[in-house]
Amino acid sequence: MKIGAIAGITFKEAKRDRVLYLLFFFAALGIGGARALAILTVGDRVKIIKDVGLASISLFGVLMAILIGTGLVYKEIDKKTIFTLLSKPLHRAEFILGKFLGLVLTLFVMTLFMSLIFLAIVYAHTLKVEGALLVAVGYIFLELVLVTAVAILFSSFSTPILSSLFALAFYLIGHLSWGLELILKKMAPGTGKSLVRFLYTVLPDLENFNFRTEVVHGLPIPPGIYLSSFLYGVCYTAFILGLAVLVFRRRDFI
Amino acid sequence: MADAIRIDNLQKKFRLGFIPKTRQILKGITFSVREGEIFGYLGPNGAGKTTTIKCLLDLVRPDAGTIEIFGRSHFSPRSRQTLGFLPENPYFYDYLTATEFLAFTADLFGLDRVEKEERIARLLKLVGLERAAGLPLRKFSRGMLQRAGLAQALINEPKLVILDEPLGGMDPLGRKEIRDIIVRFKDEGKTVFFTSHILQDIEMICDRVAIIVGGRIVKEGTLRDLVSERVLFTEVTVSGLSPDAFRDLGESISAQGDRVLLKVYDESKVDEVLELVHSHKGRLVSLSPRTETLEDIFVETVTRT
Amino acid sequence: MTKTSSAKKGATTLLLIAFLMGTAAAFMALKGATDRVAREKLPGSSIIYIPSGKFLKYATFGYRAVAADAIYLWAIQYYSTPTIDDRFDHLDHIFAIINELDPRYQDPYEVGALIAVEEARNPAAAFSILDRGATNNPDQWVYPFNAGHVALMTLKDYPLAEKYFDQCMKIPGAPEFVERLRANAIFKKGDLQTSWETWLDIYKKAPDERTKKIASNHLYNVKATIDAAAVEDAAAKYRERFGRLPADLETLRRTGFLREVPKDMDGEDYLYDPATGTVKTVTSPWRR
Repeated sequence: MKIGAIAGITFKEAKRDRVLYLLFFFAALGIGGARALAILTVGDRVKIIKDVGLASISLFGVLMAILIGTGLVYKEIDKKTIFTLLSKPLHRAEFILGKFLGLVLTLFVMTLFMSLIFLAIVYAHTLKVEGALLVAVGYIFLELVLVTAVAILFSSFSTPILSSLFALAFYLIGHLSWGLELILKKMAPGTGKSLVRFLYTVLPDLENFNFRTEVVHGLPIPPGIYLSSFLYGVCYTAFILGLAVLVFRRRDFI
Repeated sequence: MADAIRIDNLQKKFRLGFIPKTRQILKGITFSVREGEIFGYLGPNGAGKTTTIKCLLDLVRPDAGTIEIFGRSHFSPRSRQTLGFLPENPYFYDYLTATEFLAFTADLFGLDRVEKEERIARLLKLVGLERAAGLPLRKFSRGMLQRAGLAQALINEPKLVILDEPLGGMDPLGRKEIRDIIVRFKDEGKTVFFTSHILQDIEMICDRVAIIVGGRIVKEGTLRDLVSERVLFTEVTVSGLSPDAFRDLGESISAQGDRVLLKVYDESKVDEVLELVHSHKGRLVSLSPRTETLEDIFVETVTRT
Repeated sequence: MTKTSSAKKGATTLLLIAFLMGTAAAFMALKGATDRVAREKLPGSSIIYIPSGKFLKYATFGYRAVAADAIYLWAIQYYSTPTIDDRFDHLDHIFAIINELDPRYQDPYEVGALIAVEEARNPAAAFSILDRGATNNPDQWVYPFNAGHVALMTLKDYPLAEKYFDQCMKIPGAPEFVERLRANAIFKKGDLQTSWETWLDIYKKAPDERTKKIASNHLYNVKATIDAAAVEDAAAKYRERFGRLPADLETLRRTGFLREVPKDMDGEDYLYDPATGTVKTVTSPWRR
């Protein structure tokens, strides 16, 4: 209930953010621009439209999550609105969760709109509503949820600019960490290898949420992976949020 | 009566700056506020008043000491269930209207819809914002924000109201209104805890005060205990006599036309002054004995420490 | 009361830390579980969509050299992973990107061509990579040299080899043996007249005895080849007329099929084999 109230106010606030609409505009431009790119190709145009469209949803969604998420908690502290809030019978965890859910709701609405545009453009080319694309979008959304948690974690103790950089680094690491697997294969066993293996296990692997290639090419996706990467995302998000609460509980608001 | 607030040996250091410099803001604060009283927490700027309140509200984690609100540790959010707080210079979500903002605060207390709407309407009327109810808060003046702040502090019908500098930044009329509201709280059985560095307003309404200077409580008690009944001096205004006539009796402060203002320190000399006026066919305009005020104590303690 | 409350606070913190450890353990386990699910990989799908280098030039915001390094490093790993069956499909494209991003980066040209020839068995890709190297680095003789070498040794396309060596020779700093390689390519191509002239030219310009000797050997070889061809031609015509091969070279001269009996460059007689109608030199050209 209280979490709901904070989520509601966060949604209201995020909705007013111009950055959101700017990014949405660019995303729409990207999805629509895929058509123009498709003209330049020889062969399967729809494939390019799908690739660029999904990439736009993912990229601009992440930017929304980072740019808005990193400001959310910081702004409350900076503008001192947090005094009024925390002087109510409210756990600090409730505050963090409310902020998180509010932004997740915002991103959900945005992803929904972006997907509608995307599906409409695909429909215009294939005259088919391709539900499979929504699987890819669904996991993109899961990735956005995780990135949101990360943005809020950093926002709870750092300035927006630094937090944005940290969150962006998290995103990049998340998409590059699979490279450690290659290094692992070539390393001799020893402390170094154990260390790399530990890093490989602990660092986020956002490629787990990347079903874009499979969906676009209509490849079969092993059913087990739906559940395990979904749970992976949920657990990682819970971990990050727990960390955020731990950090936030120790803070003084001067 | 039970204590509404009990603070025991509260200490807080802050580390500030790039190369951290430790500053001890609170050096062991102990006092309690009884249920149903109006308690003034006084001190010059930077004495630690706001830090004390922030500790009380669990916005700042103290290094040592305990705080209880109605017998419950301040760490528990439930201790804030029956508490209303008005921050100094209230900052709120400025894109909300007054009504939306109050509805949001009501949600934080988990009020149901009917109760919520009833209370919002009542509070807007109480603080005189009925006509600005639909206006976003960013269009509010400072005084209006203060009123909106007061309304949000009262949304849960608190037993304890904490006000941080409630009279700062208000015009005289606004101060009187707030003062009246504070007195009304007492009549309703609420406990009021408020800070101030302006004294005139407080003397009239406080039951008890504590004075904090440099992170320490230097005086605490009822006004009657702190302020003696002793007459410091008597101000006498007479007309029809020249100031020279009173040279030995008191200090003449000013003379305007045929009026003379005298400051008489010795009580026995007041009678002599009156006799002198009688015998010289002069006229007594006013006579007022000045007893000790809170301000005197305040100035005295601040300068002493 | 207060004591229990701060104890409760400590308990909450502990609970939170336990929660963190629990979720961390869960996501680590799930990471392993997810890795174990083999995902269908579209063959080579990871690289089909690498855009062109021209586009990447803009997309890398001036960090072109670093991008080139990164892709090069990745390519080395990628091409040395034998489990990717179709890894050579886009070899030229990948190296084109690296070359486009950093045209003066020399290693990728050489290594790319090497992979193309030795691993991918795709000389066309090698030529494409080396041509780019030559175009982007007109001062480097090594690219046409390598291309010529591939044409000569792997492809045995002698006109192509001649072309590359010719191109290489014109670049200042090219070693003088390129000239000889070119002459050899011309010889292999079958253009004996040009080959003779080329070797003669090398012979005349030779700066040292060793080179002179090599050129002389080649000249000897060219002359021997020309003579052998003339003898074989005459012997064939002789057989057409008389239905059998001549018994010796003198017979051919006498019957007018040869103007005179040829001698090798050292004035020695060729060895004639009446059974096949061919001649060869007494000593090998390389052991003179």
